[in-house]
Amino acid sequence: MIDSVPMLAEFSIDALEMAPLQADEELLPEGLDISFKLVPSIIVIGMMLMFIVAGFMFKVADTDDMWVAGRSIGNLENGMAIGANWMSAATYLGVAATVAVSGVYGLAYVIGWTTGYFILLIFMAAQMRRFGKYTAPDFVGDRFNSDTARSLAAVTTFLIGFVYALGQARGMGLVGMYILGDWSAVTGGLLTGYQTMMVIFMVITIAYLSLSGMLGATKNMVLQYVILISAFLLGLLVTGWASGYTTVLPQLEYGMMIDSLSSEFSEPFAGGSYYLWIATCFSLVFGTCGLPHVLVRFYTVQNERVARWSCTWGLFFICLLYLSAPAFAAIGTALYGEEIGAVYGDPGMTGAAGDVLVVLAAQLAELPAWFVGFVAAGGIAAAVATTAGLFIAASSAISHDIYANIINEDATQRQQVLVGRLSIILIGVLTIIFALNPQQPIAALVGFAFSLAAIVLFPMFFLGLWWEKTNRQGALAGMTTGIIVWFIPMFNEGNFGLLDGGFGIEVISTWMPAIGSALIGVPIVFAVTIAVSLVTDDPPLETKQMVRQCHSPDPMPSDKTAADIVAEKNRSGNAPADD
Amino acid sequence: MPEKDNHNMRDDNHEIATDGGMSDVEREQQIDYMDVEINLLKPATPFMRDHLRIIWIGFAIWAITTFAPITATRIAPDVMTTQMPLIGFPLHYFLLAIVGPGSALLLSVWYARKRDQIDEKYGIEQGVVETETTETVPDDATATDGGADE
Repeated sequence: MIDSVPMLAEFSIDALEMAPLQADEELLPEGLDISFKLVPSIIVIGMMLMFIVAGFMFKVADTDDMWVAGRSIGNLENGMAIGANWMSAATYLGVAATVAVSGVYGLAYVIGWTTGYFILLIFMAAQMRRFGKYTAPDFVGDRFNSDTARSLAAVTTFLIGFVYALGQARGMGLVGMYILGDWSAVTGGLLTGYQTMMVIFMVITIAYLSLSGMLGATKNMVLQYVILISAFLLGLLVTGWASGYTTVLPQLEYGMMIDSLSSEFSEPFAGGSYYLWIATCFSLVFGTCGLPHVLVRFYTVQNERVARWSCTWGLFFICLLYLSAPAFAAIGTALYGEEIGAVYGDPGMTGAAGDVLVVLAAQLAELPAWFVGFVAAGGIAAAVATTAGLFIAASSAISHDIYANIINEDATQRQQVLVGRLSIILIGVLTIIFALNPQQPIAALVGFAFSLAAIVLFPMFFLGLWWEKTNRQGALAGMTTGIIVWFIPMFNEGNFGLLDGGFGIEVISTWMPAIGSALIGVPIVFAVTIAVSLVTDDPPLETKQMVRQCHSPDPMPSDKTAADIVAEKNRSGNAPADD
Repeated sequence: MPEKDNHNMRDDNHEIATDGGMSDVEREQQIDYMDVEINLLKPATPFMRDHLRIIWIGFAIWAITTFAPITATRIAPDVMTTQMPLIGFPLHYFLLAIVGPGSALLLSVWYARKRDQIDEKYGIEQGVVETETTETVPDDATATDGGADE
């Protein structure tokens, strides 16, 4: 496990060819004007205050509201929440960064992070809603009748939330520094400018989140979506216009620019091999379908039709940004090339500059500071919204799945909510510690979390919903294999300072890069789960009936779970009951 | 008696299959989902058959729009990187950056509508239950939820 503060290990991701970030100076993006800016600061502080007020207004005291927003959320609202929840700093900042720095390889992120929603929609969204529990580990625990499986899923959920949040914290720190300047003096030089900002923003996020829970977070996510999408789209439009590259539809017009950019921008496989492209895209698609904080959004809606349409709406809201991000990357790359220096080659653009390219582009287009601040605020809104979703998912894994289901079965609502809040603080503090020296670009950090979700959780959800013979032994064997498989490339590449520098075994880093390890991992876990399920006994009939209930077209009341229906049915009918 | 259950289920399916006189909808109404096996490849009921058909069609198109452009670019880089008229994109870039995400969105709309049509065909109506709001429900109401029958 990750248990030490990350050392500054030397590493490089093949695809991104980043120089290792050895010191804080290298985290300072060249060309970005780091200073206190009054109007942008007011915008950002006002925005954060608004989140806290909205969170406070929807303050929760019971677990239904804490975890699933009272199952009261409608189509559009949930669609926007899906969008905000989804579009993190990795989307807002990281996608444009990766497209700019690694060219066509970066488009694997654009495709992976959008098209995964279709798979989620056709195979899982409505069925998950019918299953109707609180958290993703709940599904695993109940479906496979095993507290061990529940704990494995809960630990995985926690780990995903943590790895994913590292990328968000890095985004908050970098953008915060642009707006509020270098505040390292406040800490007496103990922390650097980036670290100070990251800590400040994380603390505010944790505070608002531990107050408001899922209901507040959902209400806030709608607000956050509106802020982030308008900041991004307006930012793109105005930046393209002011710099003279595009006019009214930059999402299509940037096609004309591609010719004039360095060949690295559009040349196929310049930034990563074909295999790496497929592996990354695969990991991101199936990671999307295994991410607990995405799946839990389908528990918060009224019925399965709303689950389907809100998934579709969510994808629409997401596409608005993803169709625009490459345009931002093209304009940003052009401006960077004109005003700062060569984007590619040595020295080229650093990862940190890439990670704030969206803000940097607006600044280089010489837009007024308040407007650049608005674009930056959108990045912070994105990071806060996603961190909120992640921390809720991670804390519910601790409080609901481990504490209330395993440790203290008689836990009161009050105790559960308290443990939930404490675990939000715990994961927040962990994130802060590890994000002090982030070693990877935002999109890569987030990519690791996707591999984990794809390898460990996606097969459990998919087989659990679609193959009723999947049993406890199969699930346990599959998840254990999955966790081991995920750690192999992580150790091999020495990410997070796990082993200084890693093993560096070339075969593994070529064919099983951490960022795309799901391409190999998912089939392995599927095979193990199926094989073990086949050689062991079938699961009990109740479990099979629960799976069937998830696929039945009969409407079911929104406050019931598939398990409730099965239990009622067996009580009144003649089917065998084992209670 | 779980082992016997499998047997019964096969009989049910058999009956359904040989019963030519009923429409899909009528047959569907006689089915209790607690008794049919969920199988991704062998749908056991008319509803599941209709549903799985659109799932698989959608999945096949999705696989093509998601992975075919990059594969084609690997196989025939010259053809795929030609510049498109009017919009100026190299073909592969356009297919990856715009057609890929766009078609997933269109497919989602298509699927959600198709699924609504299937629901309509089988007369399925989604209950919209007035849900409890935070303001009106005391803290422990959810804990003591007795599962009132509709």
